[in-house]
Amino acid sequence: MSSLESRLAAYIATKLPRASELQVHSLDRIFGGASRETYRFVLSYREGGEKLERRLILRRDPPGSLIETERVVEFGAYRAFYRTAVPVPEALWLEEESDWLDYPFFIMEELHGLESSPQLLLGPPYSDYAERLAEQKWTILGEISKADPVALGLEGVMEPVRPDQCWQRELAHWEKSIDEDELCPQPVIRAAIRWLRRHPPPPAQKISVVHADYRTGNFLYDTEGNIRAILDWEMAHLGDPLEDLAWGLNPVWRWAHDERAGGLARDEDAIRIWEKASGLRADPVALHWWKVFSSVKGQAIWVSSAKEFTDGKNQDLILALSGWLMQNSQDRAVLAELGHLS
Amino acid sequence: MKPDIDRFLDVAAAYLMMELAPTLGSSYAQSNVSILGMMLAAVREEFGRAAARRIEENREMRRLFGEAAPGVKDAALHHRLLDAAQSDDTDFTVSALEQSNAALRQTLIDLHTHVEQLDTPEARRIEEAIWRELAASTERRRLMMGPF
Repeated sequence: MSSLESRLAAYIATKLPRASELQVHSLDRIFGGASRETYRFVLSYREGGEKLERRLILRRDPPGSLIETERVVEFGAYRAFYRTAVPVPEALWLEEESDWLDYPFFIMEELHGLESSPQLLLGPPYSDYAERLAEQKWTILGEISKADPVALGLEGVMEPVRPDQCWQRELAHWEKSIDEDELCPQPVIRAAIRWLRRHPPPPAQKISVVHADYRTGNFLYDTEGNIRAILDWEMAHLGDPLEDLAWGLNPVWRWAHDERAGGLARDEDAIRIWEKASGLRADPVALHWWKVFSSVKGQAIWVSSAKEFTDGKNQDLILALSGWLMQNSQDRAVLAELGHLS
Repeated sequence: MKPDIDRFLDVAAAYLMMELAPTLGSSYAQSNVSILGMMLAAVREEFGRAAARRIEENREMRRLFGEAAPGVKDAALHHRLLDAAQSDDTDFTVSALEQSNAALRQTLIDLHTHVEQLDTPEARRIEEAIWRELAASTERRRLMMGPF
Protein backbone atom coordinates (compact mmCIF):
# COMPACT_ATOMS: atom_id res chain seq x y z
CA MET A 1 0.00 0.00 0.00
CA SER A 2 1.48 3.31 -1.03
CA SER A 3 1.83 6.11 1.44
CA LEU A 4 -0.89 8.11 -0.29
CA GLU A 5 -3.27 5.13 -0.19
CA SER A 6 -2.76 4.58 3.53
CA ARG A 7 -3.12 8.26 4.36
CA LEU A 8 -6.25 8.46 2.25
CA ALA A 9 -7.68 5.42 4.05
CA ALA A 10 -6.91 7.02 7.42
CA TYR A 11 -8.75 10.17 6.37
CA ILE A 12 -11.80 8.36 5.01
CA ALA A 13 -12.02 6.28 8.19
CA THR A 14 -12.78 9.49 10.09
CA LYS A 15 -15.68 10.12 7.71
CA LEU A 16 -17.10 6.61 7.96
CA PRO A 17 -16.91 5.85 11.68
CA ARG A 18 -19.10 2.75 11.38
CA ALA A 19 -16.92 1.19 8.70
CA SER A 20 -14.43 -1.57 9.43
CA GLU A 21 -11.72 -3.25 7.35
CA LEU A 22 -11.48 -0.02 5.39
CA GLN A 23 -8.96 -0.11 2.57
CA VAL A 24 -7.92 2.14 -0.28
CA HIS A 25 -6.40 0.37 -3.27
CA SER A 26 -5.80 0.66 -7.03
CA LEU A 27 -4.83 4.32 -6.64
CA ASP A 28 -3.91 5.64 -10.10
CA ARG A 29 -3.18 9.17 -11.14
CA ILE A 30 -5.26 10.13 -14.14
CA PHE A 31 -5.19 13.02 -16.51
CA GLY A 32 -7.51 15.62 -15.04
CA GLY A 33 -6.14 18.93 -16.19
CA ALA A 34 -3.42 20.89 -14.45
CA SER A 35 -5.38 22.79 -11.85
CA ARG A 36 -5.65 19.80 -9.50
CA GLU A 37 -3.93 16.44 -9.23
CA THR A 38 -6.57 13.83 -10.00
CA TYR A 39 -6.48 10.20 -8.87
CA ARG A 40 -8.96 7.38 -9.17
CA PHE A 41 -9.05 4.75 -6.44
CA VAL A 42 -11.19 2.00 -4.99
CA LEU A 43 -12.49 2.19 -1.43
CA SER A 44 -13.55 -1.08 0.17
CA TYR A 45 -14.95 -1.51 3.65
CA ARG A 46 -17.41 -3.49 5.69
CA GLU A 47 -20.47 -1.86 7.24
CA GLY A 48 -23.46 -3.51 8.94
CA GLY A 49 -22.08 -6.92 8.03
CA GLU A 50 -22.01 -6.00 4.37
CA LYS A 51 -18.85 -5.72 2.23
CA LEU A 52 -18.96 -2.53 0.20
CA GLU A 53 -16.82 -1.14 -2.57
CA ARG A 54 -16.87 2.30 -4.16
CA ARG A 55 -14.88 3.81 -7.02
CA LEU A 56 -13.86 7.32 -6.06
CA ILE A 57 -11.91 10.30 -7.33
CA LEU A 58 -9.42 12.35 -5.32
CA ARG A 59 -8.86 15.95 -6.47
CA ARG A 60 -5.86 17.36 -4.64
CA ASP A 61 -4.35 20.83 -4.93
CA PRO A 62 -0.93 20.75 -6.59
CA PRO A 63 2.01 22.86 -5.38
CA GLY A 64 1.22 25.31 -8.20
CA SER A 65 -1.80 25.30 -10.47
CA LEU A 66 -3.00 26.49 -13.84
CA ILE A 67 -5.58 28.74 -12.28
CA GLU A 68 -5.80 29.86 -8.70
CA THR A 69 -9.08 28.16 -8.08
CA GLU A 70 -11.20 27.86 -5.05
CA ARG A 71 -11.85 24.26 -4.16
CA VAL A 72 -14.77 25.30 -1.95
CA VAL A 73 -16.47 26.69 -5.03
CA GLU A 74 -15.83 23.58 -7.10
CA PHE A 75 -17.04 21.29 -4.33
CA GLY A 76 -20.03 23.55 -3.70
CA ALA A 77 -21.03 23.50 -7.37
CA TYR A 78 -20.94 19.70 -7.50
CA ARG A 79 -23.06 19.56 -4.36
CA ALA A 80 -25.53 22.16 -5.62
CA PHE A 81 -26.22 20.48 -8.95
CA TYR A 82 -26.23 16.88 -7.72
CA ARG A 83 -29.50 15.17 -8.68
CA THR A 84 -30.73 18.09 -10.77
CA ALA A 85 -31.16 18.46 -14.54
CA VAL A 86 -27.42 19.13 -14.65
CA PRO A 87 -25.69 15.75 -14.29
CA VAL A 88 -22.70 15.76 -11.94
CA PRO A 89 -20.99 13.10 -9.82
CA GLU A 90 -21.66 13.06 -6.10
CA ALA A 91 -19.17 15.14 -4.13
CA LEU A 92 -18.44 13.45 -0.81
CA TRP A 93 -15.86 15.13 1.39
CA LEU A 94 -13.96 18.40 1.28
CA GLU A 95 -10.76 18.82 3.29
CA GLU A 96 -9.19 22.26 3.45
CA GLU A 97 -6.38 21.42 5.85
CA SER A 98 -3.05 20.16 4.53
CA ASP A 99 -2.39 17.73 7.40
CA TRP A 100 -3.89 14.65 5.78
CA LEU A 101 -2.47 14.64 2.24
CA ASP A 102 -0.01 17.57 2.25
CA TYR A 103 -2.40 19.78 0.31
CA PRO A 104 -6.16 20.47 0.50
CA PHE A 105 -8.37 18.09 -1.48
CA PHE A 106 -11.83 16.74 -2.02
CA ILE A 107 -13.22 13.33 -2.83
CA MET A 108 -16.08 12.52 -5.16
CA GLU A 109 -17.74 9.61 -6.86
CA GLU A 110 -16.09 8.15 -9.97
CA LEU A 111 -18.42 7.58 -12.91
CA HIS A 112 -16.70 4.55 -14.34
CA GLY A 113 -16.40 3.48 -17.98
CA LEU A 114 -17.13 6.86 -19.53
CA GLU A 115 -15.08 9.04 -21.87
CA SER A 116 -14.22 12.72 -21.87
CA SER A 117 -11.76 13.01 -24.77
CA PRO A 118 -12.79 15.52 -27.48
CA GLN A 119 -10.68 13.60 -30.00
CA LEU A 120 -12.56 10.33 -29.47
CA LEU A 121 -15.76 12.11 -30.46
CA LEU A 122 -14.37 12.60 -33.95
CA GLY A 123 -14.38 8.88 -34.78
CA PRO A 124 -16.86 6.02 -34.64
CA PRO A 125 -19.07 5.26 -32.86
CA TYR A 126 -19.19 8.71 -31.28
CA SER A 127 -19.04 10.75 -34.49
CA ASP A 128 -22.52 9.45 -35.33
CA TYR A 129 -23.82 11.06 -32.14
CA ALA A 130 -22.55 14.62 -32.69
CA GLU A 131 -26.04 16.08 -33.13
CA ARG A 132 -27.41 14.20 -30.14
CA LEU A 133 -24.48 15.25 -27.95
CA ALA A 134 -24.83 18.86 -29.11
CA GLU A 135 -28.50 18.89 -28.17
CA GLN A 136 -27.65 17.62 -24.68
CA LYS A 137 -24.56 19.77 -24.25
CA TRP A 138 -26.28 23.09 -24.86
CA THR A 139 -29.52 22.01 -23.19
CA ILE A 140 -27.58 21.26 -20.03
CA LEU A 141 -25.83 24.61 -20.32
CA GLY A 142 -29.27 26.18 -20.65
CA GLU A 143 -30.26 24.45 -17.40
CA ILE A 144 -27.17 25.85 -15.67
CA SER A 145 -27.94 29.34 -16.99
CA LYS A 146 -31.61 29.07 -16.02
CA ALA A 147 -30.92 27.80 -12.49
CA ASP A 148 -31.46 30.09 -9.52
CA PRO A 149 -28.16 30.37 -7.59
CA VAL A 150 -30.03 31.27 -4.39
CA ALA A 151 -32.27 28.23 -4.60
CA LEU A 152 -29.16 26.11 -5.21
CA GLY A 153 -27.61 27.47 -2.03
CA LEU A 154 -24.67 28.94 -3.91
CA GLU A 155 -25.05 32.56 -2.79
CA GLY A 156 -22.84 31.99 0.21
CA VAL A 157 -20.34 29.96 -1.80
CA MET A 158 -19.84 32.25 -4.79
CA GLU A 159 -19.14 35.96 -4.65
CA PRO A 160 -22.23 38.06 -5.51
CA VAL A 161 -22.14 40.40 -8.50
CA ARG A 162 -24.56 42.95 -9.95
CA PRO A 163 -25.79 42.48 -13.55
CA ASP A 164 -24.00 45.63 -14.72
CA GLN A 165 -20.72 44.60 -13.06
CA CYS A 166 -20.27 41.09 -14.47
CA TRP A 167 -18.15 42.10 -17.44
CA GLN A 168 -15.96 44.51 -15.48
CA ARG A 169 -15.19 42.00 -12.76
CA GLU A 170 -14.28 39.22 -15.18
CA LEU A 171 -12.23 41.45 -17.45
CA ALA A 172 -10.32 42.96 -14.53
CA HIS A 173 -9.63 39.50 -13.12
CA TRP A 174 -8.16 38.07 -16.31
CA GLU A 175 -6.31 41.23 -17.30
CA LYS A 176 -4.60 41.16 -13.91
CA SER A 177 -3.65 37.57 -14.54
CA ILE A 178 -2.00 38.55 -17.85
CA ASP A 179 -0.29 41.55 -16.18
CA GLU A 180 1.21 39.26 -13.57
CA ASP A 181 2.12 36.26 -15.68
CA GLU A 182 2.99 37.28 -19.24
CA LEU A 183 6.52 36.27 -20.20
CA CYS A 184 6.51 38.40 -23.34
CA PRO A 185 4.34 41.25 -24.66
CA GLN A 186 0.92 40.23 -26.04
CA PRO A 187 -0.07 42.89 -28.60
CA VAL A 188 -3.12 41.05 -29.93
CA ILE A 189 -4.67 40.36 -26.56
CA ARG A 190 -3.80 43.86 -25.25
CA ALA A 191 -5.63 45.33 -28.25
CA ALA A 192 -8.58 43.05 -27.51
CA ILE A 193 -8.67 44.20 -23.87
CA ARG A 194 -8.75 47.84 -24.95
CA TRP A 195 -11.53 47.03 -27.43
CA LEU A 196 -13.54 45.34 -24.66
CA ARG A 197 -13.24 48.41 -22.46
CA ARG A 198 -14.31 50.75 -25.26
CA HIS A 199 -17.36 48.61 -26.10
CA PRO A 200 -18.94 47.46 -22.81
CA PRO A 201 -21.78 44.95 -23.16
CA PRO A 202 -25.30 45.50 -21.83
CA PRO A 203 -25.92 44.35 -18.24
CA ALA A 204 -26.50 40.62 -17.77
CA GLN A 205 -30.15 39.67 -18.32
CA LYS A 206 -29.90 37.62 -15.14
CA ILE A 207 -27.26 36.52 -12.66
CA SER A 208 -26.53 32.86 -13.34
CA VAL A 209 -24.13 30.23 -12.18
CA VAL A 210 -21.33 30.37 -14.74
CA HIS A 211 -19.47 27.08 -15.07
CA ALA A 212 -16.63 29.05 -16.70
CA ASP A 213 -15.00 26.14 -18.54
CA TYR A 214 -18.03 24.67 -20.29
CA ARG A 215 -16.64 23.00 -23.39
CA THR A 216 -16.22 19.66 -25.08
CA GLY A 217 -13.60 17.88 -22.99
CA ASN A 218 -15.22 18.79 -19.70
CA PHE A 219 -18.12 16.38 -19.80
CA LEU A 220 -18.31 12.61 -19.57
CA TYR A 221 -20.18 10.69 -22.24
CA ASP A 222 -21.08 7.06 -22.85
CA THR A 223 -20.97 4.85 -25.92
CA GLU A 224 -24.63 5.59 -26.72
CA GLY A 225 -23.99 9.30 -27.08
CA ASN A 226 -25.35 10.41 -23.70
CA ILE A 227 -23.71 13.09 -21.58
CA ARG A 228 -23.49 11.61 -18.11
CA ALA A 229 -21.69 14.29 -16.11
CA ILE A 230 -20.42 17.85 -16.30
CA LEU A 231 -16.96 18.16 -14.74
CA ASP A 232 -14.33 20.79 -13.89
CA TRP A 233 -16.30 23.40 -12.01
CA GLU A 234 -13.17 24.94 -10.53
CA MET A 235 -13.65 28.36 -12.11
CA ALA A 236 -17.40 28.50 -11.46
CA HIS A 237 -18.82 31.84 -10.33
CA LEU A 238 -21.90 34.00 -10.48
CA GLY A 239 -22.14 36.14 -13.57
CA ASP A 240 -23.53 36.72 -17.04
CA PRO A 241 -24.79 33.46 -18.60
CA LEU A 242 -23.48 34.61 -21.98
CA GLU A 243 -19.96 34.12 -20.63
CA ASP A 244 -20.49 30.34 -20.67
CA LEU A 245 -22.20 30.32 -24.07
CA ALA A 246 -19.41 32.37 -25.65
CA TRP A 247 -16.62 30.29 -24.08
CA GLY A 248 -17.93 27.07 -25.63
CA LEU A 249 -18.18 28.75 -29.04
CA ASN A 250 -14.54 29.87 -29.02
CA PRO A 251 -12.82 28.54 -32.17
CA VAL A 252 -9.98 27.01 -30.15
CA TRP A 253 -12.42 24.26 -29.15
CA ARG A 254 -13.26 23.36 -32.77
CA TRP A 255 -11.72 19.95 -32.33
CA ALA A 256 -12.88 18.68 -35.73
CA HIS A 257 -11.09 21.58 -37.47
CA ASP A 258 -14.34 22.60 -39.12
CA GLU A 259 -17.02 25.15 -38.29
CA ARG A 260 -18.60 23.14 -35.48
CA ALA A 261 -18.32 24.52 -31.96
CA GLY A 262 -16.71 21.95 -29.71
CA GLY A 263 -16.63 19.58 -32.71
CA LEU A 264 -20.39 19.12 -32.36
CA ALA A 265 -22.61 21.84 -33.82
CA ARG A 266 -22.54 25.11 -35.72
CA ASP A 267 -22.71 28.22 -33.58
CA GLU A 268 -26.26 29.10 -34.64
CA ASP A 269 -27.54 25.64 -33.68
CA ALA A 270 -25.77 25.73 -30.32
CA ILE A 271 -27.27 29.16 -29.61
CA ARG A 272 -30.75 28.02 -30.62
CA ILE A 273 -30.58 24.98 -28.32
CA TRP A 274 -29.27 27.09 -25.43
CA GLU A 275 -31.93 29.79 -25.87
CA LYS A 276 -34.70 27.19 -25.92
CA ALA A 277 -33.44 25.42 -22.81
CA SER A 278 -32.59 28.53 -20.79
CA GLY A 279 -35.46 30.77 -21.80
CA LEU A 280 -32.83 33.49 -22.20
CA ARG A 281 -31.74 35.42 -25.27
CA ALA A 282 -28.28 35.53 -26.78
CA ASP A 283 -28.23 39.18 -27.82
CA PRO A 284 -25.77 39.25 -30.76
CA VAL A 285 -23.99 42.42 -29.61
CA ALA A 286 -23.58 41.14 -26.06
CA LEU A 287 -22.54 37.69 -27.29
CA HIS A 288 -19.92 39.26 -29.57
CA TRP A 289 -18.44 41.06 -26.53
CA TRP A 290 -18.33 37.83 -24.55
CA LYS A 291 -16.75 35.97 -27.48
CA VAL A 292 -13.92 38.50 -27.64
CA PHE A 293 -13.64 38.27 -23.87
CA SER A 294 -13.44 34.48 -24.05
CA SER A 295 -10.20 34.79 -26.01
CA VAL A 296 -8.75 37.21 -23.47
CA LYS A 297 -9.61 34.77 -20.72
CA GLY A 298 -8.25 31.86 -22.73
CA GLN A 299 -5.01 33.70 -23.40
CA ALA A 300 -4.71 34.55 -19.71
CA ILE A 301 -4.92 30.84 -18.91
CA TRP A 302 -2.29 29.90 -21.52
CA VAL A 303 0.01 32.72 -20.44
CA SER A 304 -0.29 31.61 -16.82
CA SER A 305 0.33 28.00 -17.71
CA ALA A 306 3.55 28.97 -19.51
CA LYS A 307 4.60 31.02 -16.47
CA GLU A 308 3.85 28.20 -14.01
CA PHE A 309 5.93 25.77 -16.04
CA THR A 310 8.78 28.22 -16.60
CA ASP A 311 8.95 29.14 -12.90
CA GLY A 312 9.03 25.46 -11.99
CA LYS A 313 6.09 25.83 -9.61
CA ASN A 314 4.24 23.12 -11.49
CA GLN A 315 5.99 21.15 -14.23
CA ASP A 316 3.05 19.16 -15.44
CA LEU A 317 3.73 18.76 -19.16
CA ILE A 318 0.22 19.87 -20.07
CA LEU A 319 1.17 23.36 -18.88
CA ALA A 320 4.02 23.54 -21.37
CA LEU A 321 1.91 22.13 -24.19
CA SER A 322 -1.04 24.45 -23.56
CA GLY A 323 1.27 27.41 -23.11
CA TRP A 324 2.89 26.66 -26.43
CA LEU A 325 0.14 25.34 -28.60
CA MET A 326 -2.81 27.43 -27.55
CA GLN A 327 -1.44 30.98 -27.46
CA ASN A 328 -1.19 31.30 -31.22
CA SER A 329 -4.60 29.72 -31.78
CA GLN A 330 -6.09 32.06 -29.20
CA ASP A 331 -4.61 35.10 -30.95
CA ARG A 332 -6.02 33.85 -34.24
CA ALA A 333 -9.42 33.35 -32.59
CA VAL A 334 -9.63 36.91 -31.30
CA LEU A 335 -8.36 38.36 -34.58
CA ALA A 336 -11.13 36.44 -36.36
CA GLU A 337 -13.79 37.65 -33.89
CA LEU A 338 -12.65 41.25 -34.34
CA GLY A 339 -12.61 40.90 -38.14
CA HIS A 340 -8.85 41.20 -38.58
CA LEU A 341 -7.97 37.69 -39.72
CA SER A 342 -7.84 37.49 -43.49
CA MET B 1 23.68 17.97 -38.53
CA LYS B 2 22.89 14.58 -39.99
CA PRO B 3 20.44 13.01 -39.67
CA ASP B 4 18.45 16.19 -40.07
CA ILE B 5 16.88 17.47 -36.86
CA ASP B 6 13.39 17.50 -38.33
CA ARG B 7 13.72 13.90 -39.49
CA PHE B 8 14.88 12.82 -36.03
CA LEU B 9 12.06 14.72 -34.32
CA ASP B 10 9.48 13.18 -36.67
CA VAL B 11 10.66 9.70 -35.78
CA ALA B 12 10.95 10.45 -32.06
CA ALA B 13 7.46 11.98 -31.88
CA ALA B 14 5.92 9.03 -33.72
CA TYR B 15 7.74 6.58 -31.46
CA LEU B 16 6.51 8.26 -28.29
CA MET B 17 2.90 8.61 -29.41
CA MET B 18 2.36 5.43 -31.43
CA GLU B 19 4.69 2.89 -29.87
CA LEU B 20 5.69 3.84 -26.34
CA ALA B 21 2.51 5.44 -24.98
CA PRO B 22 0.22 2.44 -25.58
CA THR B 23 2.59 0.14 -23.66
CA LEU B 24 2.44 2.15 -20.45
CA GLY B 25 0.20 0.89 -17.67
CA SER B 26 -0.69 4.21 -16.10
CA SER B 27 -3.10 6.43 -18.00
CA TYR B 28 -1.34 9.49 -16.58
CA ALA B 29 2.02 8.28 -17.92
CA GLN B 30 0.39 7.54 -21.28
CA SER B 31 -1.00 11.07 -21.43
CA ASN B 32 2.34 12.60 -20.56
CA VAL B 33 4.24 10.59 -23.15
CA SER B 34 1.67 11.58 -25.77
CA ILE B 35 2.14 15.23 -24.75
CA LEU B 36 5.90 14.83 -25.13
CA GLY B 37 5.34 13.45 -28.62
CA MET B 38 3.12 16.39 -29.53
CA MET B 39 5.69 18.81 -28.20
CA LEU B 40 8.44 17.21 -30.27
CA ALA B 41 6.24 17.60 -33.33
CA ALA B 42 5.80 21.30 -32.47
CA VAL B 43 9.56 21.68 -31.89
CA ARG B 44 10.12 20.14 -35.32
CA GLU B 45 7.86 22.76 -36.91
CA GLU B 46 9.46 25.63 -35.02
CA PHE B 47 13.09 24.55 -35.33
CA GLY B 48 13.64 25.39 -38.96
CA ARG B 49 11.88 28.74 -38.93
CA ALA B 50 12.75 29.98 -35.42
CA ALA B 51 15.32 32.58 -36.42
CA ALA B 52 13.80 33.42 -39.81
CA ARG B 53 10.36 34.33 -38.50
CA ARG B 54 11.79 36.51 -35.75
CA ILE B 55 14.08 38.33 -38.19
CA GLU B 56 11.16 38.90 -40.56
CA GLU B 57 8.85 40.04 -37.78
CA ASN B 58 11.42 42.43 -36.32
CA ARG B 59 12.08 43.87 -39.78
CA GLU B 60 8.34 44.41 -40.39
CA MET B 61 7.84 46.16 -37.06
CA ARG B 62 10.84 48.44 -37.65
CA ARG B 63 9.48 49.32 -41.09
CA LEU B 64 6.07 50.06 -39.59
CA PHE B 65 7.61 52.29 -36.89
CA GLY B 66 9.61 54.19 -39.50
CA GLU B 67 6.46 54.84 -41.52
CA ALA B 68 4.38 55.76 -38.47
CA ALA B 69 6.87 58.03 -36.70
CA PRO B 70 6.28 61.18 -38.81
CA GLY B 71 2.56 61.08 -37.93
CA VAL B 72 3.10 60.68 -34.18
CA LYS B 73 3.16 64.03 -32.38
CA ASP B 74 3.87 62.67 -28.90
CA ALA B 75 7.58 63.51 -28.59
CA ALA B 76 8.64 60.58 -26.40
CA LEU B 77 6.85 58.00 -28.52
CA HIS B 78 8.06 59.68 -31.71
CA HIS B 79 11.70 59.27 -30.60
CA ARG B 80 11.13 55.71 -29.44
CA LEU B 81 9.71 54.85 -32.84
CA LEU B 82 12.64 56.42 -34.64
CA ASP B 83 15.14 54.64 -32.39
CA ALA B 84 13.39 51.32 -32.88
CA ALA B 85 13.13 51.84 -36.64
CA GLN B 86 16.87 52.46 -36.85
CA SER B 87 17.85 49.55 -34.62
CA ASP B 88 18.97 46.27 -36.15
CA ASP B 89 19.58 42.66 -35.23
CA THR B 90 23.24 41.72 -35.11
CA ASP B 91 23.03 38.59 -32.96
CA PHE B 92 21.03 35.93 -34.76
CA THR B 93 20.68 33.46 -31.95
CA VAL B 94 17.03 32.78 -31.21
CA SER B 95 17.33 34.07 -27.64
CA ALA B 96 18.79 37.42 -28.81
CA LEU B 97 16.20 37.75 -31.57
CA GLU B 98 13.48 36.94 -29.05
CA GLN B 99 14.73 39.69 -26.78
CA SER B 100 14.66 42.34 -29.49
CA ASN B 101 11.28 41.00 -30.65
CA ALA B 102 9.83 41.49 -27.16
CA ALA B 103 11.08 45.09 -27.03
CA LEU B 104 9.65 45.83 -30.47
CA ARG B 105 6.31 44.23 -29.63
CA GLN B 106 6.04 46.38 -26.51
CA THR B 107 6.64 49.46 -28.68
CA LEU B 108 3.96 48.17 -31.06
CA ILE B 109 1.50 47.94 -28.15
CA ASP B 110 2.31 51.50 -27.11
CA LEU B 111 1.94 52.80 -30.66
CA HIS B 112 -1.35 50.95 -31.08
CA THR B 113 -2.71 52.35 -27.80
CA HIS B 114 -1.63 55.85 -28.83
CA VAL B 115 -3.21 55.90 -32.29
CA GLU B 116 -6.48 54.40 -31.02
CA GLN B 117 -6.97 57.60 -29.04
CA LEU B 118 -6.50 59.87 -32.07
CA ASP B 119 -9.29 60.78 -34.44
CA THR B 120 -7.37 61.44 -37.64
CA PRO B 121 -7.11 59.66 -40.99
CA GLU B 122 -3.37 59.22 -40.36
CA ALA B 123 -4.10 57.46 -37.05
CA ARG B 124 -6.57 55.14 -38.78
CA ARG B 125 -3.98 54.38 -41.47
CA ILE B 126 -1.39 53.46 -38.83
CA GLU B 127 -3.96 51.45 -36.89
CA GLU B 128 -4.85 49.45 -39.99
CA ALA B 129 -1.17 48.80 -40.64
CA ILE B 130 -0.77 47.55 -37.07
CA TRP B 131 -3.70 45.15 -37.40
CA ARG B 132 -2.23 43.85 -40.66
CA GLU B 133 1.08 43.21 -38.95
CA LEU B 134 -0.61 41.53 -35.96
CA ALA B 135 -2.46 39.21 -38.33
CA ALA B 136 0.73 38.51 -40.30
CA SER B 137 2.67 37.89 -37.10
CA THR B 138 0.05 35.43 -35.91
CA GLU B 139 0.28 33.57 -39.22
CA ARG B 140 4.10 33.44 -38.97
CA ARG B 141 3.83 31.85 -35.54
CA ARG B 142 1.09 29.40 -36.47
CA LEU B 143 1.61 25.77 -35.49
CA MET B 144 -0.12 23.22 -37.70
CA MET B 145 -1.06 21.24 -34.61
CA GLY B 146 -2.82 24.24 -33.08
CA PRO B 147 -6.58 23.80 -32.75
CA PHE B 148 -7.40 26.96 -34.74
